Amino acid sequence: MTRVFNIISKEFLLASRSGYEIFLPIVYLLIIMMFFNISISYVEKDIMLELLPLMTWISCLLICILNLENIFKEDYDDGTLEMFLMKKEGIELDIMIKILSHWLLSNLPIVIVAPLVAIALGLDFGTTSTLFITLLIGTPTMSLIGSIAAALTISLKKNKILVSIIVLPLYVPILIFGTSAVNNSFFKINYDTEITLMIFLFFIFLLLTPLACSKALKISLD
Amino acid sequence: MHNTVIEIQDISLSRNDNNILDNISFKIERSKALNLYGLNGSGKTSLLNIIAGITEPTSGYINNISGDENIFHKIVYIGHKYGIKGNLTVKENLSYSLHDNNQNNDALISNALDIYKMTDLKNRLTKNLSHGQQKKVSLMKTLILDSLLWIIDEPYSALDNKSIEIFNTTVKKFLDNGGSLLMTSHSELKNSLFALDNYRIKQ
Repeated sequence: MTRVFNIISKEFLLASRSGYEIFLPIVYLLIIMMFFNISISYVEKDIMLELLPLMTWISCLLICILNLENIFKEDYDDGTLEMFLMKKEGIELDIMIKILSHWLLSNLPIVIVAPLVAIALGLDFGTTSTLFITLLIGTPTMSLIGSIAAALTISLKKNKILVSIIVLPLYVPILIFGTSAVNNSFFKINYDTEITLMIFLFFIFLLLTPLACSKALKISLD
Repeated sequence: MHNTVIEIQDISLSRNDNNILDNISFKIERSKALNLYGLNGSGKTSLLNIIAGITEPTSGYINNISGDENIFHKIVYIGHKYGIKGNLTVKENLSYSLHDNNQNNDALISNALDIYKMTDLKNRLTKNLSHGQQKKVSLMKTLILDSLLWIIDEPYSALDNKSIEIFNTTVKKFLDNGGSLLMTSHSELKNSLFALDNYRIKQ
C-alpha cells in the first residue's frame, strides 16, 4: 500500500509542477462543449438535449486519446523507465499504479466535469447520472487500452498519431456501449446490458494490460 | 561466499541482422571493478542493459553464482540517461529512489549530499542544475541504495576532476566492503585508487 501511495504521490507532485498542462483536458472539454452548444443552437432544444450526452461522450473519448502518450513518455525520456524495468518482480503492479495515476490526473477530472457541463446545458439528472457512470467505467478501460499502445510506440519520436490509430478501433465498442447507455437512459429505456458489457470490457483489459504493457515496454526499450 | 558474483556466458545480441555482441563471456567478481571499453557503437551500453536485465540477449546466459539470491535486486544501474526527474528537487529524487526500493532513510540522503558536496542544492529542481550536477545526483543513488553491484555507463563523463575524485573514493569504499563495479569507457583506464580490470568488448 505504501508503494502505491509513493508512486501516486510522486506522479501528483510532478503533475502539480508541470504548470497549466494538468488543466488542458478540462479546457479542451469546455471548448468543445461550448462550440457544440453554439453550432447547434439553431436546432430545437429537445434534439440538442438528445445529442448532448452523445457529444459529451465523444469529446471525452477524443480528449482521453490526446493525453495517452504521456503515460510513459517522460519516464522514457529521463531514463527512469529503464530503472523501472530492471526489477525482476512487481513490474506489472508498478505499471498498473502508473496507469491509475494517469487516469486520476488526466481522465477523472473529465469524468467529474463533463456531467456538470451537461447539467449546465440542460440535461436531466437521470441521463447525467448515466453519463457519469458510463464515463467512470469507460475512461479507465480507455486508459488501460491506451497504455498498451503508448508502451508499444514509446521509442518513436512522434508517436501521437500512431497511438491514435492503434486505439481508435479498440475504443469503438466502449463508445458504442457508452453512448447507447446514455441514449437509452435519455429515453427511459433499460441500459443494464450496456453497463454490464462495459464492466466486462474493463475487467478483460484489467487482466490483459499489466502483462501486455510490461512486454511492450521491454520490446520498445530493446 | 563465492568470489564470482555474476558470470556472463556467451552473450550475443543481434538486431536487424546486425551483430551487436558476439559470444561475450566474462565474470564480475566481488571487490573488483571492471571497465568495459570500446569504440562508439561497440555494444557497451547494450551489454550493460543485458546484465541489468533491461534487454534480453539473443543468446547466452547471465548466471548468478554469488550464492546470494537477491543479487539481481541489489544492482544499481546508471545509464546514459540519468534516471532523475527534472521537476523534482535533488532531495526528492533521492527520496523517491529510496521509496521505489522500499527503503526510507533520510540520514543516507544527507550523507550522500554531503559526500558529493550538494547539500546547498538539495532543494533545487534538478532541471535547473548543470549536466555535471545532474550526473552527481544520479551517482548519489549508488550511496543510498542497498546494493552489491553498481553498473554505470561512462561514470566519468560530465564530471569535473573534484567529482571524479569523490566518485573514485566512494568506489574504493564500496569495493572494500565486498561490492562490485561494472562500468564503461571509450578507452582503457588505469586507476591507482582501486584495481580496475579492463575488458575490450569488440575487435
